[in-house]
Amino acid sequence: MKRNILTVIVGAVLVVIFALLLFVFQVRRSETAVVTTFGKPARDITEPGAYFKWPWPIQKVYKYDQRVQNFEDKFSENFTGDNIILLSSVYVGWRISDAGQFLRKFPGDTTVSIPNAQGKLESMLRSAKNAVVGRHTLSEFVNADPKQLRFDAIENEIKQTVQGELSTNDWGVSLEFLGFKKIGLPESVTQTVFDRMKSERQQYISKYQSEGDAESQKIRSAAERQAAETVAKAQADATRIRAEGELEAASTFKVFQQNPELENYLLRIEAIKQSLNKQTIMIFDERTPPFDLFSHLPTNSPGNNP
Amino acid sequence: MSDEHDHHGHEHSPAPETQDAGSQALAEALRSSFAIVKIVMALMVVAFFCSGFFQVGPSEKAIILRFGRPVGAGQKALLNSGLHWSFPYPVDEVVRIPITEIQKVTSNNGWYFTTPEQELSGEEIPAGPSLNPAIDGYVITADRNIIHTSATLYYHIEDPIRYVFDFASASNTVQNALDNALLYTAAHFKVDDALYTDVAGFQEAVKQRVGDLTDQEQLGIVIDNCEIQNIPPRQLSDVFAQVTTSRENRNTAINYAKSAANKILLDSGAQAATIVNEAESTRTRYVASIDADAKRFSDLLPKFDSNPNLFVQQTLLPAMSEVLTNVQDKMFLPVHADGKPAELRLMLNREPPEPKPAANP
Repeated sequence: MKRNILTVIVGAVLVVIFALLLFVFQVRRSETAVVTTFGKPARDITEPGAYFKWPWPIQKVYKYDQRVQNFEDKFSENFTGDNIILLSSVYVGWRISDAGQFLRKFPGDTTVSIPNAQGKLESMLRSAKNAVVGRHTLSEFVNADPKQLRFDAIENEIKQTVQGELSTNDWGVSLEFLGFKKIGLPESVTQTVFDRMKSERQQYISKYQSEGDAESQKIRSAAERQAAETVAKAQADATRIRAEGELEAASTFKVFQQNPELENYLLRIEAIKQSLNKQTIMIFDERTPPFDLFSHLPTNSPGNNP
Repeated sequence: MSDEHDHHGHEHSPAPETQDAGSQALAEALRSSFAIVKIVMALMVVAFFCSGFFQVGPSEKAIILRFGRPVGAGQKALLNSGLHWSFPYPVDEVVRIPITEIQKVTSNNGWYFTTPEQELSGEEIPAGPSLNPAIDGYVITADRNIIHTSATLYYHIEDPIRYVFDFASASNTVQNALDNALLYTAAHFKVDDALYTDVAGFQEAVKQRVGDLTDQEQLGIVIDNCEIQNIPPRQLSDVFAQVTTSRENRNTAINYAKSAANKILLDSGAQAATIVNEAESTRTRYVASIDADAKRFSDLLPKFDSNPNLFVQQTLLPAMSEVLTNVQDKMFLPVHADGKPAELRLMLNREPPEPKPAANP
C-alpha cells in the first residue's frame, strides 16, 4: 500500500538521523578532539570534519578548543640581578597541540581540565620568571642604549624556559608567544623615584635659567664686539679717506706757491671775517682803515690842520 | 483506525444510522486535521530549507562550516556581502567575521587608577604620594623615570580565517601586544623624549612593535593607526610644568638677546656708514674748497701782481665794511690832539644767562 511505503521511508529517515546522532560527531575548524574507548584515548582528531564513533558507553569524544588562548599571570615581585624588586606580569598565548596527551595529563571535562592546566602553567611561568629576572639587571629591562637593552632577550629566555618544561612534561600544550604585560616597582620605591625625578627636574630648571642668562649675554656681547669692530673699521676708513682728500688737495697747493704773499693776505682776510661775528665789540681809532679817513678829513680844527 | 463507536445520537433512532453519521463526522474531522498536519509539515520542511538563507552585510564576510570544515580553501572560503544559502544545522554552520570595519583596542595598563564614573564626570581622585602597583599603572622609561601612558590602536582584519579560527580571543591578543609595545617602547625612550621632544617617534615605535608582535603571532591583522598619550606622573606635574616654563623662558631670553644683538649690529652698521659717508663728504668738501680757493687765487693773482697796494685797498675795505656791519658794538676813539693815547676802561660782563622757564624756579 502506498501509504505504508511513505511511512516506512519516514521511519527509515528517522532511524538514520538517530543513528547519525549516535555514531557521528563533528569537529569544527577551531577544535581538536580525542576519542576514548572505554576511557582510554584511542584516536586523535586534528582535522575538522565529521567522524564516526561507537556510541556511549563504548566510545566517548572529548573536544577541545585548539585556538590560541590568552592567559596572564599575576602581577608579582621578583628580584633582579642587581637586587631591585621588580613587579612584572607576563601574558602568554598557549594552545592544546595534542588532545590525547592533554586528556591523559588533565583528565575530565574541559571546565575542570582547562583551569587545571592554566594553574599548572601559571606556576611554571612563575618559576621561570623568577629564574630569568634574577639573571638580569634593571638596566637590561630599561635602557636608552639599544645595545644594552635586553627586553626581547629576557622575554625569549622566559619563553624558552617554559617551552622546555612543557616539552619535558609532555602536556600536549604548546606555548605560542610570551611577553611582558606590566612592569612596575613596589609602592615605596615609586616615592623615591618621584623624589629623584623631582630633583632631576629642578636641575633642569636651574640649568635652563642659567643657560638663558649665559646664552643671551654671550649673544649680546658678541654682537657688541662685532659692532665695535665695525665702527672702529669705519673710523679707520674715515681717517684714510680724509687723508686721501688731503693728499688730493696737496697737488692743488702748488697753485698758491706762485705768490705766498697773496695767499697769506687772503687767509688773513678770511680769518678776520670768520672771527669777527655778531657778539663782537670793536674798539678802534682813526688809524684803523677805513676810519683813517676821519683823520684826513678837511676840518677847521686847528689840531688837525698843522 | 476505525473506531466508529460513538455516543452522538440524533433524530434517526437505530444504531447503524447514528453510527454512520458520527463516524462520518469523525472521519471528516480526522481527514481535515490530517491534511492540516501535512501542510504544516510540508511548510516546516520548506522552512527548514529556507532557514538556510542568510545575508552577509557590507562590512563582514562569512564562512560556511560543513561538518565543521570550512567550505572552500583559503580566501575562496570567504563569502562576500549578499544573500547566501547553506544547509541548516547540523550540516552547515555560518560564521560571520567583521572585516572592513576598523577594530579598536585601548591600553590603559600604563594609566593611573580612575573609575568610569570619574572619567565621565572629569573628576579625578587627588594623587597620593606614591603609586599603588595593584591599581595604578605606569611605565618605566629608559632613564628610570615613571610616566603614565595610554594608547589606542586601530586595525583591520586581513586574514579572517586565522583571526577567527586560530585565536580564542584575537582582540585580547592584540591588546596584550599593545600593552607590551608600550612597555617596550618606554624602555627605549628617555623621559623627555617620551613626553616632549619625540612623541611622534614614540608613537611610531609603539606601532612598529605591535606590528612586529602581531606578525610573529600571525594574527592576520593590519595596523592602521596608533594614538598615544604620555603624561608625567600627577605627583610631579608642577615640577614638569616648571621645567617647560623655564625652558620657554630660556628660549625667550635667547630670542630677545638675538633680536637685541641684531639691533646692535644694524645700529653699528648704520653708524659705520655714517662715519664713512661723513669722511667722504668731508674729503669732497675739503678738496672742493681747496680747488675753489685755488681757482680764486689764480683769478686774483694777475690783479695782485699788477698793483699789490691797490689790490689790498680794493679787497680790504669791503671786507672791513662787511665785518663792521656784522659787529654788534663799534666804538670810535679819536686820537687826542696832543697825540697822547686815550685811556679807556671797559667793564666786561659775562653773557647774560638764558632766562629760565617760569615753571622751574
